[in-house]
Amino acid sequence: MKLKTHDRLVEHIADDLFEFANADTDNSEIAGYSNYSYWRSTVQVFLKNKTAVLFLGVIVILLLFTMIQPVLPNQKDPTFIHINPETFMQFRNVKPGTEFWFGTNAIGQDLWARIWSGTRTSLLIGFAVGLFEVVIGIIIGTLWGYVKKLDRIITEIYNVWNNIPTTVILILLTYIFRPSLSTLIFAMAITGWLSMARLVRNLVTIIRDREYNMASRCLGTPTYRILTKNMLPYLVSVIMLRVALAIPMAIGAEVFLTYIGLGLPVQIPSLGNLVNEGRVLMMSQSLRYQLFFPAIVISMITISFYVMGNAFADAADPKNHV
Amino acid sequence: MSERKKLLEVKNISVVFGSRKKAFTAVDDVSFDIYEGETFGLVGESGSGKTTIGRAIIRINAITSGEIIFEDERISGKIDKKKDKKVVQDIQMIFQDPMSSLNERAKVDYIVSEGLYNLKNYANDAERKKIVDEALLEVGLLPEFSSRFPHEFSGGQRQRIGIARSLVMQPKFIIADEPISALDVSIRAQVLNLMNRLKKDLGLTYLFIAHDLSIVRFITDRVGVIHKGRLVELAETEELYNNPLHPYTRSLLSAIPMPNPNYEKSRKVIFYDPDQHHYDIEAPKWVEIKKGHFILANQPEIDTYKTMLESNIKGE
Repeated sequence: MKLKTHDRLVEHIADDLFEFANADTDNSEIAGYSNYSYWRSTVQVFLKNKTAVLFLGVIVILLLFTMIQPVLPNQKDPTFIHINPETFMQFRNVKPGTEFWFGTNAIGQDLWARIWSGTRTSLLIGFAVGLFEVVIGIIIGTLWGYVKKLDRIITEIYNVWNNIPTTVILILLTYIFRPSLSTLIFAMAITGWLSMARLVRNLVTIIRDREYNMASRCLGTPTYRILTKNMLPYLVSVIMLRVALAIPMAIGAEVFLTYIGLGLPVQIPSLGNLVNEGRVLMMSQSLRYQLFFPAIVISMITISFYVMGNAFADAADPKNHV
Repeated sequence: MSERKKLLEVKNISVVFGSRKKAFTAVDDVSFDIYEGETFGLVGESGSGKTTIGRAIIRINAITSGEIIFEDERISGKIDKKKDKKVVQDIQMIFQDPMSSLNERAKVDYIVSEGLYNLKNYANDAERKKIVDEALLEVGLLPEFSSRFPHEFSGGQRQRIGIARSLVMQPKFIIADEPISALDVSIRAQVLNLMNRLKKDLGLTYLFIAHDLSIVRFITDRVGVIHKGRLVELAETEELYNNPLHPYTRSLLSAIPMPNPNYEKSRKVIFYDPDQHHYDIEAPKWVEIKKGHFILANQPEIDTYKTMLESNIKGE
């Protein structure tokens, strides 16, 4: 019975309302041009992380400000000792106020100017050491991990080099040269690349014998192209994290070296020198501001790079690209 | 058969991994020839050394002894640059796992043209693009795909990208290392048919490494059976499947699943016990027991295999 009703219904439907759609297997594979781009997706994922963007803003503002600060109006010289014209005495330990925004230190230098000048020096050290670490670390690390013949030699060199404490190298260097900005950068650079190289080496060793690298070798791809096309793109996220940490670590190392007396000479303001000066006065409550201000700047730099580095490492991993 | 040209000769090769104290012999004194235009199968259980043989031929793994001859020239050991380039171009490999054999951070365009960049046998970038597009079409993919990354493809498509990558080199000989074992059953036929078509169209020769015996029967012309790094039997495919002589071959063949419940009910799986050979009394030799049918056996075994062969023929 039911079938008949159905048939009757079908008879009333006009044929021209429908047409056959032909399945085309070739067509089904066309899903349009893919415009996926690795770096664009990385940036997009990074920008979605609001905290990271905030800290990126902090760093950008800090960098810009340290650069333009000396040319702003009403800025004082960071090394000039201010003398009170009435008493002919230095403005010692003046509290933060309208004249000296961050106060003055024990010999009457303007802390505000010193902090920005110091930040400039410390960031320069950070970026220089970080850059050196990355370039040398990556070149040596990839060769160390990929070229089996070099493995033994570089491992031995690493073992020897790594067993000489950084402090000893620094003491030697300060004896040979005079303590200066370039000595400090040089000393931190020649020891800092070791850990970067080892990290890269370990990562390369992990992915060296994956099948796609074997395929490249079967196609006769030269080593340098395997390294740049097959290896480094896989390491971007981890390397980025390391780079982001290398900069605050270099700044921190500078602070430490100044503390033990091997850092920059006192006349060059740096965050290390400022923290060191502030540390002496830490116990007296009224003078604590001399430690707080440089410490706040260091914390801001360190936290910003750390958060940004983590966020960027996540963003650079294509597994997190939607 | 003898008038056919030998493309590849593998002569008594051994591959030993590790140093003297912890040496592990992965391939032990293996010899076989591959003729031009045929598909030669290598079967054996996991860890038997089939992949190592394939990798030794394409020179990923160095051989410890013996030699490999390709087109009447030795390609194992140290060879000069010109020959090296020629071997790279002529011998290519299709890998087992399409998920790990493509560079995830490179576009299909780069993956397929990687070999071209190395050979630099194209005049300009437009010509390279053209070769890539043709290779993609050849394996049933669209030229538009070259702008994509591997993770945007299915397993079967990825395997075809891998095939396209080796095709741009215009190879004569392709080593297919379990090219379908990582693929879904539904797309295995797709890749196998593609390989067969390419063989006919481009006159390729294959070394097909597999452990799926029904597929080996479908695609190969001759088969070698390998066990613990030693070749135990080698014959034309139909001959081997009809007259398996070596107990290990028979054990393998008895394990092929059949979509037939009646057969499955009465299946007798032959268990292979290497102790049955008594090779300590008389060492085995690699003998041609019948024309084109080789087997690893000692004298008493040769006699029993011969009677088995005769009774098989009578039975037919």
